[in-house]
Amino acid sequence: MRAQPINRISKKGLTVWRLYGAIQTVIVLLLAVGAGVVTYIFEGPWWIYGIAAVIVILYAYFFIVLFPKVRWMRWRYEVRESEIELQHGIFIVKRTLIPMVRVQHVDTSQGPILRKYHLAEISISTAATNHTIPALMTAEADELRNRISILARVAEDDV
Amino acid sequence: MMSNTRYKLHWITALIESLKTVKEAILPLVVLIFANGLNKNPGTGLWYVDYLSFLIFTVLIISLLVTGIIKWKRFEYWFEDDELRIESGLFVKKKRYIPFERIQSLDYTEGILHRPLKLVKVKVETAGGASGKAEAELTAITRDAARQVEEALAEAKRRKKGMGTEEGFIEETIEEGPKTSAIFKMSTKELLILATMSGRIGFIFSGVAIFLSQFAELIPFEWMYNEFFAIIKFGLLIISIIVLIGLFIVWLVSVGIAFLSYYQFTVLLDETDIVITRGLLEKKRVTVPLNRVQSVRVIQNPVKQLFGYATVVIDSAGGSGAEMAKINLFPLVKKDKVQQLLTRIFPDLNVSEPTKKLPRRSRHFYYRIDFLWMVPIIGLLTYFFFPYGMYSVLIVPVIVLFGLWQHRSAAFQVSGNQLTLRFRNFSLQTAYLLKKRIQSMEMKQNYFHKRKKVATIGATVKSGAAFYNPQVHHMDQKDAEAILVWYEPNVKNEQAQFIQETSEA
Repeated sequence: MRAQPINRISKKGLTVWRLYGAIQTVIVLLLAVGAGVVTYIFEGPWWIYGIAAVIVILYAYFFIVLFPKVRWMRWRYEVRESEIELQHGIFIVKRTLIPMVRVQHVDTSQGPILRKYHLAEISISTAATNHTIPALMTAEADELRNRISILARVAEDDV
Repeated sequence: MMSNTRYKLHWITALIESLKTVKEAILPLVVLIFANGLNKNPGTGLWYVDYLSFLIFTVLIISLLVTGIIKWKRFEYWFEDDELRIESGLFVKKKRYIPFERIQSLDYTEGILHRPLKLVKVKVETAGGASGKAEAELTAITRDAARQVEEALAEAKRRKKGMGTEEGFIEETIEEGPKTSAIFKMSTKELLILATMSGRIGFIFSGVAIFLSQFAELIPFEWMYNEFFAIIKFGLLIISIIVLIGLFIVWLVSVGIAFLSYYQFTVLLDETDIVITRGLLEKKRVTVPLNRVQSVRVIQNPVKQLFGYATVVIDSAGGSGAEMAKINLFPLVKKDKVQQLLTRIFPDLNVSEPTKKLPRRSRHFYYRIDFLWMVPIIGLLTYFFFPYGMYSVLIVPVIVLFGLWQHRSAAFQVSGNQLTLRFRNFSLQTAYLLKKRIQSMEMKQNYFHKRKKVATIGATVKSGAAFYNPQVHHMDQKDAEAILVWYEPNVKNEQAQFIQETSEA
């Protein structure tokens, strides 16, 4: 078995994902309420209320509780001298290897929600692909970005 | 030394530019013509009102021609300070200086207007050409002028090399002129086969139509629409005949187009570039610098595989547009010749078939997931169209056998700095990838994969501005991890390789 990458992303990332899940759940809830109102007006069958309620509860459970947790548990990264390794994915675990020589540029960015939690995401670009580490403490992200950019400059093209 | 004479394009440029604008503005022009045609109301007596749209049309055409002429008049190019310099522009004067060393290749196209006057269109491709447009275009110059551009470029490169190292200078004096050798020329027979196969989608559809019209009797229309039986059957016959004829025409047209565009397909190799020429009415010459090639893939669809043919495609990093990223190196070639031909172009590449196969335990991954959609569909068909719907069960063995075929086709191999991946989606594809060209690698596993200790491995290489991502699904987890370790550029690995190489030498 190949060892997992050692670093985890910030625990606050979990909170942010739960927040996203909550926002989505509110939207689903509004849709469900809408369906309920329509059913009430047109005197539809009673089980429509039941289905709508079940959908909202399941959605809340999956997208606020379960998925963020699994996603957070799974997300790992490691920046070594000559390569970056990422591991992520809920159902399918993906492990990505990006050699430093291939890194063309590194960016950090943060949206309003990430900023509120002092988080930032790093995106690493090669000539063909783009990879993102989703939630790191801002200071940590800045430091990591600088480190990758230095390592990428030092790494020499082999062959 | 180089003089700074300024050159002009051939006058036909004016016409070509105008036609290009017409092509872009075709829609408003059509609207205008229609407006003219529909305007049937009696004359108002004022000639300039009656013929207004006609007037506008004439003015438009004349102004287009004038614009074309001015564009041609204003366009100048010359060589100065190891740069190709271009000055153009109607109202805003645009100057573009392209350093010779940034020029990757010159691509030639000879359109129908070029041919009788012995002219070529030259596209200047640079390394940074990811924007989807060529850096510069010389719309029409004589062949001699094109050769002059090429020579200026070659001379500058030679001078640079000579300055760089003494060794290079000595080498240069030994070799006289650029060495070119013909690698591949498609025979007329192969061209005809390629053209025929290129219309294969239409062909398959015609086959289906024939099948349908032949077996219309067996389909239980009687049961399904008893009273409309006769009408529907008759309608079906008419429709399938019309469809058949339509598809046949489409197929013929696509065969014709393929024939014209692949006519006299030739691959030449000079020291640093692959040069591909093709075409009957419109002759094209495309240059691919060898060091821009990112991957080589051999593709065989089942029909080609049956007759022992293959297609070889290369991905290039540079170039403008999709056409320049994924290049048909050999559109159709005998499979048993591929290895020998590719070895001549890429001597460092090991073009043999990959030898490592997938374990038996991963077989069911290739078809098990398909039951997710098969079972409900068969269930629904059986329920709604009982008993004939039950025949849909026959799809199960087809899908399972195809899955087993995919499993058997998949293979991989690591040899030195090269990774070879073979896999089948529908066509069989073998990708030859050098480690230095792989941008990133990914190993994927779901819960079931983990339990059976298998994994999917994928590599990403650059292809133009986009990427190409070959994957071998469901291989042994140990092998997948070994490939990741092989890909890891850690220092120890490189030292080991270095020792190995020196001991071999």
